[in-house]
Amino acid sequence: MQKTSILNIQSLIPDRQTFTRSFRIAAWLGWQIESNWTDPFLFAVYSIAKPLAGAAILVVMYSIITNGAFESPIFPYIYLGNAFYMYVGGVMTGISWAVIDDREHYKTLKYMYVAPIHMPTYLLGRGVARFIVSSISVLITILFGVAFLHVKIDLAAVNWGLFFVSLLIGVLMLAMMGLMLAGITLLIAQHVWFIGDITAGALYLFSGAIFPLDVLPRFLRPVGFFMPITYWLELLRRSLVGSVAQAFPTLSGFSNAQLMGILLALTTVFAVLAAVIFFWCEHRARERGMIDMVTNY
Amino acid sequence: MQFAIHTENLGRIYKIRGGKKSDPKELEALRGINLEIAPGELFGLLGPNGAGKTTLIKVLTTLLAPSSGQASVSGFDVIKHPQKVRARINMVSGGESSGYGLLTVRENLWMFSQFYGIPTKEANRRIKHLLDVVGLGDRLNTKSSDLSTGLRQKMNIVRGFMTAPEVLFLDEPTLGLDVGASRDVRGFIRQWIDEDHTRTLLLTTHYMVEADELCDRVAIINEGRVLACDRPATLKRRLQQDAIFKMELSPLNGLSVDSFEGLPGVRKAIHVPKDGSAELDLILEKDDALGGVVNMMTSNDVHILNLQKREPTLEDVFVDLVGRSMEEVEAGES
Amino acid sequence: MNPEKWPADNMGFPPDKNTGLRLFLQTVIARAYPRIIGQQREKSWVFFDIFLPLLAVSAYVFVYRAIGAPEEYVGFVVMGGAMTAFWMNVLWSMSSQLYWEKEMGNLSLYIMAPNSMMAILLGMALGGLVATTLRALAITVLGSWLFEIPYAVASFGQLFLVFMLAMIALYGMGMLFASLFLLLSREAWHLSNLAQEPVYLFSGFYFPIKSFNFWVAATASIIPLTLGLDAMRQLVFPSGAALGFLSVPVEIGILAALCVIFLTAAKLLLEHMEKLAIREGRLTESRR
Repeated sequence: MQKTSILNIQSLIPDRQTFTRSFRIAAWLGWQIESNWTDPFLFAVYSIAKPLAGAAILVVMYSIITNGAFESPIFPYIYLGNAFYMYVGGVMTGISWAVIDDREHYKTLKYMYVAPIHMPTYLLGRGVARFIVSSISVLITILFGVAFLHVKIDLAAVNWGLFFVSLLIGVLMLAMMGLMLAGITLLIAQHVWFIGDITAGALYLFSGAIFPLDVLPRFLRPVGFFMPITYWLELLRRSLVGSVAQAFPTLSGFSNAQLMGILLALTTVFAVLAAVIFFWCEHRARERGMIDMVTNY
Repeated sequence: MQFAIHTENLGRIYKIRGGKKSDPKELEALRGINLEIAPGELFGLLGPNGAGKTTLIKVLTTLLAPSSGQASVSGFDVIKHPQKVRARINMVSGGESSGYGLLTVRENLWMFSQFYGIPTKEANRRIKHLLDVVGLGDRLNTKSSDLSTGLRQKMNIVRGFMTAPEVLFLDEPTLGLDVGASRDVRGFIRQWIDEDHTRTLLLTTHYMVEADELCDRVAIINEGRVLACDRPATLKRRLQQDAIFKMELSPLNGLSVDSFEGLPGVRKAIHVPKDGSAELDLILEKDDALGGVVNMMTSNDVHILNLQKREPTLEDVFVDLVGRSMEEVEAGES
Repeated sequence: MNPEKWPADNMGFPPDKNTGLRLFLQTVIARAYPRIIGQQREKSWVFFDIFLPLLAVSAYVFVYRAIGAPEEYVGFVVMGGAMTAFWMNVLWSMSSQLYWEKEMGNLSLYIMAPNSMMAILLGMALGGLVATTLRALAITVLGSWLFEIPYAVASFGQLFLVFMLAMIALYGMGMLFASLFLLLSREAWHLSNLAQEPVYLFSGFYFPIKSFNFWVAATASIIPLTLGLDAMRQLVFPSGAALGFLSVPVEIGILAALCVIFLTAAKLLLEHMEKLAIREGRLTESRR
């Protein structure tokens, strides 16, 4: 008997019709479920209270220790890094939580699997709602920083081209990481936390989001240099406030183009990794009959 | 006499909150239900989906307050003494998954036994024994998330019987089970009730055959009302005077059910379209009325492929009472 | 099925059933069981509940190092980070748990059984507390070892007392939320989400609440973890007392009062909500 291959290239890449159908319906569904932010209460929860409270923790920590020295370049470094980092949790959770929500709550994951859709595309689509909500959170957090916390962004000096291109590649990169987590989620029980948020929390340490990588012990730094998030955040900071990026030497040896090249290369590596991990996990989940399991305790 | 279950003018109205595009509504799920069920009875509630069966069970199991009227179980009022009622009942619903997927069958059942105050040793003995009875003895240590739908339902059934309730409520207990498993469950239910005459079992189902085969008495319920309540044989006897025919025909060529019902002596006609043929159930006042039906078919070029005279079933009783078949009622609901 | 086996083995007779306090305790233990066993059964929790949170805590440690904070703040962060596990547990496994139970079909079975719902909630709390203590302890030990945190425990007795009172009050609050959320569906989920980060902020998980002005800190003290954390920091760190909000005995007194208030309120509210839910028919409906 011929052994079936785990990785079937055809199943990896959907045709255009399947891609569009899967993505569109998933994005619509995600929007219906996740984030009806036209509801003022939900808007306040997800786009204002949560992100601002998260940012405020760092602001208070900073202000206690430095007696409110908000002019120092480390402050906008921390503040902007933290603001854009919301995308990390948001996008990764959006994509991976859909597995738990569909499997354990709506009990529709099995129907999604038997439908003629491309599962990874479907999950990516489910992440769109959280991406949009995260975008609003990021915007509100930055506006708050500019208005009340001396975060100075000179709109005329912003390198908009670099900003949008980096943002786009970064979101794709995060989506790939979300897909990896979605794969892993297929194999684990429902716990109390969101796997996307908790992974984002852990990667916080290695991405230079709220402190330069130089602060890490020497043996941990390579992890940070392998994370595409590190280069992505650096590019975003450079495009918005160039002076802040210059103040920290960790990545100052690289030009914008070099950083972009590294980001693109690592994004490609992560995309391949995501495909391998997702399909391997999916294969295991099918083998062990876990597609429609209900866990909880 | 103290009834196991007693209801008096029981009513329940659901208030359905309005959405963005709809106004709030009221849905009358139960309308003046009167039931007297004696200890030892296996009583069936028969009706289509949405008839009010599950609402009635919820009221009797203290999960839902009635909007009007009264209900008591084992002599205790469900609203005034819910705790006393709860100590004496249990419920199993078809299609539900109770407990936690990460626990084994034994652990899930043990957990529920503890909520009823059964000492662990006795609980384990009962679990082991009952699982053997339902054929799940070898699955004691299987995680319940690894069970198939049918096996999970058997575990549920054990959960219901394990606590030795005075009154057991089974809400569509064979829902989703295959033919063999359904037959097993029915056999098991019958045996449980026959064994001890202080036990009472209330079963809801929309499978007519199940009710007919199992129940001592049946209440036919539709739109929240009890339309008839008696022994299955007595209910069917209402139609003994009638002649009931089942016909298999070529397609009806545009003939409607109404045109048959317009014929003298035809009380009811039910048409079930099939692939390439049609099935017609006829309730006639007398055999003679069949002639008119056959004539109408011949003149419309409809051929009779098969004709059978049969005994009345509870389905016929339902049609007689409601004017439509259970399938038609359910199709109308959806 | 083997119906012929029925009714062998004396199964026909109702068993002796416990009632009153025994039933209450049996229920507490039975509902705690899946919490403790279920979690251990899925080994992935070690990675996700200990390793990853430890990394997240470390990130805050390095922020302090990046901005040149005194070393004792590292200890504050590790302790706060370990305690976040309890807050997560109360939010997601207590407050919004009844919503999940309803969706899974267990809630009606819990209500219909002759036990008290309070015992079910206590069982959930006890199970969550035991399981989470294990995680929090692991994070504390590993974090202390990694960052070489110096401890100088002033009084083990007081430390134990503060921890227990904070936990009883915290899980009492979780029970109160659970009963409040009983009538809610997905809204319960959103409310838990709403409470997560703001409480991290105001309860001082990453810095002493003395940094806030008095009234902000006093208001934040309604969350039992606020004073619990503050008192524990005062008791275990050499410079803790200087950064404490109120004195330890006062904080112990307030925590004890919070225990009584939350547990009593939870009991009263649960009774009320259960009645209301039965009247409105919201115990079993699943609004997905």
